[in-house]
Amino acid sequence: MICASNVIPNAESETVMHTLIKRLAMIAGILSSGLILTASWGAETLKFSYITSIYADQVDTVLQKDSAAQEIIALKHPEGVACDDRSLVVVADTGNARLLRYRFQDKTISNDLPPIQLPELTLPARLQLNSKGEIFVLDRKTRRIARLTPEGAFHSYLEPSGLPSPTFVPRSFYIDRNDAIHILDIFSERVIMLNSEGQYLAHKKFPKDYGFFSDLTVDFKETHFLIDSVNATVFAAAKDAAVFSPLTQNLKEYMRFPTAMTSDSRARIYLVDRNGSRIIILGSDGSLLGRLSAMGWKESFLNYPSQLCINSRGEIFIADTINNRIQIFAVKE
Amino acid sequence: MKTISRHLTCSSVLAFVIFCLMIVAGPAYPKENFKLRPGAEGKLCLKCHETFQKTLKSRAVHQPLKTGRCSDCHDPHTSVHQKLLTADTNALCTGCHKELLPEKARSTHKIVADGECVKCHAAHASDNRFILIKPGNELCSDCHKDVGTQAQEVRFKHSPLMKDKGCLNCHDPHASVKSDYLLKNVVPALCRECHKTGQPSFKRKHLDYPVDEANCNSCHSAHGSNTRGILYDKVHLPVAENKCAECHLKAGAPNATSTKKQGTELCKQCHRDSVDTIFTKNRVHWPLMDKTGCLNCHSPHGSRQKNLLEKSVRETCGKCHEDTVKLQQWSISNPKNTNLCEPVKTGSCSSCHAPHSADNVLLIPKDSISIGICGECHKWETHSTHPIGEKVIDPRDKNLTVECLSCHKACGTGNKPNMMPFETTYDLCIQCHPERRK
Repeated sequence: MICASNVIPNAESETVMHTLIKRLAMIAGILSSGLILTASWGAETLKFSYITSIYADQVDTVLQKDSAAQEIIALKHPEGVACDDRSLVVVADTGNARLLRYRFQDKTISNDLPPIQLPELTLPARLQLNSKGEIFVLDRKTRRIARLTPEGAFHSYLEPSGLPSPTFVPRSFYIDRNDAIHILDIFSERVIMLNSEGQYLAHKKFPKDYGFFSDLTVDFKETHFLIDSVNATVFAAAKDAAVFSPLTQNLKEYMRFPTAMTSDSRARIYLVDRNGSRIIILGSDGSLLGRLSAMGWKESFLNYPSQLCINSRGEIFIADTINNRIQIFAVKE
Repeated sequence: MKTISRHLTCSSVLAFVIFCLMIVAGPAYPKENFKLRPGAEGKLCLKCHETFQKTLKSRAVHQPLKTGRCSDCHDPHTSVHQKLLTADTNALCTGCHKELLPEKARSTHKIVADGECVKCHAAHASDNRFILIKPGNELCSDCHKDVGTQAQEVRFKHSPLMKDKGCLNCHDPHASVKSDYLLKNVVPALCRECHKTGQPSFKRKHLDYPVDEANCNSCHSAHGSNTRGILYDKVHLPVAENKCAECHLKAGAPNATSTKKQGTELCKQCHRDSVDTIFTKNRVHWPLMDKTGCLNCHSPHGSRQKNLLEKSVRETCGKCHEDTVKLQQWSISNPKNTNLCEPVKTGSCSSCHAPHSADNVLLIPKDSISIGICGECHKWETHSTHPIGEKVIDPRDKNLTVECLSCHKACGTGNKPNMMPFETTYDLCIQCHPERRK
């Protein structure tokens, strides 16, 4: 159940109308058996419900079964989360320099897989999975993308072969449904596209005027999207387009400093507003559909979220970094 | 019937609105319609307003007054505006002086935009050009004190600033369609109006580098400085020592102003230890990693700011983190916020955050992002009787302990008091103590 008083409206840039919409939405949310109903700006209204949170490397179900379970270590500033369409959820427990793997089925979290701790992972921050179950990790300290086997062993670093102007700094990356790898290279100002083996395919230059790009995503139509954190603007480049152009105007009125993004099977774009501690949802045309959560400490509220993952069942996993947990929501059409 | 009635109601409302607007907006009739006797214009007013005889002898007299058209600005009978003005001062002045606020201005003097023309101009007459209330730079220095003082006190003065038109040699006092800062033209085109870049002496002084299209403000302080050549007083050592080739290609090379390396690699040539230290930390501030690197925040040639920052710390951080700086500014302006932290009051982001890199999240250079950093200034142990510290679990989240940021937000909370993210202390307390809810 969402407690209205727990919502701290980040209202510094909000209009009275938006505050009113949000309050009404919250009341509706409380009345509808714990559903969080987001304000809807477009024709589409999305409902989200909070399911559960992950707080530690071992969850209660495991502890109950296995009395010899090892000492529980709580999550510390998790910055990354990845999920697949089966049940796997991988968490970058950044502050503890490890990856944790869970199963999420029937709204229940379990973890029968051991943590992954490798010398190559000093500060795992962003995660992606490919269709083979391989885990790709962007290390915040080394700024390299490590490729791990599905079992969690180190395979190799992603070092693109055949890359023109070879210096690149990956700020983020994305693996699409064909296992192609897309890297946001902030040094050479481009999106690098690699095949599943890491061989260079093509690249797209950043647009001319932008503030700072923090993340990218690719939808099922193979359209690239970039989020400019400074100007709170989404840029897009269709599959065959050579250049990025703004998909939205400056959205500072609705978000403070978005730093991560992903898209779902219906090409909706989910933006993680890190400083604003909320999730903003856009339609594929850039229209605002609504938002999820607000700044807070209680379950269903966020505090400097970092990465978000959504699976085909509409389950959303959010790395709630400063609250030291992963929160799981469900989106209802 | 209903439709007719609705139309009548709408018409009545519309008529009432128009009537109200007419009252507020000013004269409801043309100014010429006062039906004054022939030849009475002006003279009639001066019969009572005798002091204007002296005013009219001033060096500069406002044209309507000079021609006796007092009713151009004043209503002789009644007005809702002070001094019987026919309209608000903004609307009144721009009614005639439309050209002062061009539609596509790149920069506009705030007082002009706010319609405060009388802050610079006398409405009737003055002994200064353009009926200004004070002559030349003296007027500008009233508001722009720091620039005025600097211009007067520096050892090496920029000569246009000292000449007859002073500030107005480079700045347009109302608005500029060409440049920021009300400059009459963009830099370097503005500078080239006086400084002939083709002259041998100019080339020699710039070590034969092709600086015709360079940003002069990158090295020179346009309002004067204590360094020869009006270079900034805080100048990068290679610039002071005329060692441009330390960073740039040689003067004769094609694209000579290009740098030898890009990003932090360029600065690392001299600042190796600093750069290496930065990169040993877990989290490096992302802008350091792009092609611009250090120059995202620092000026490579010279600056008025400490550590060659381009602007003040607050402004520099605000270039990207506008949202946080807005919140900080909002917190400062809020009268409820009497207990703001000093770094928030002063916009000193780097008091809590490491601008280059840190091991902890949010670029906090301490192990604890809360007590560790707050405790540098605050005696948190004596803050209150509320349990706080590593052993006290936050009832809202079992992975958190109760610490400073459990109740406060460190960058400010806008219109909420005591840097709390809640309207009242009660709202805060019931977060963890719901049983106390009234």
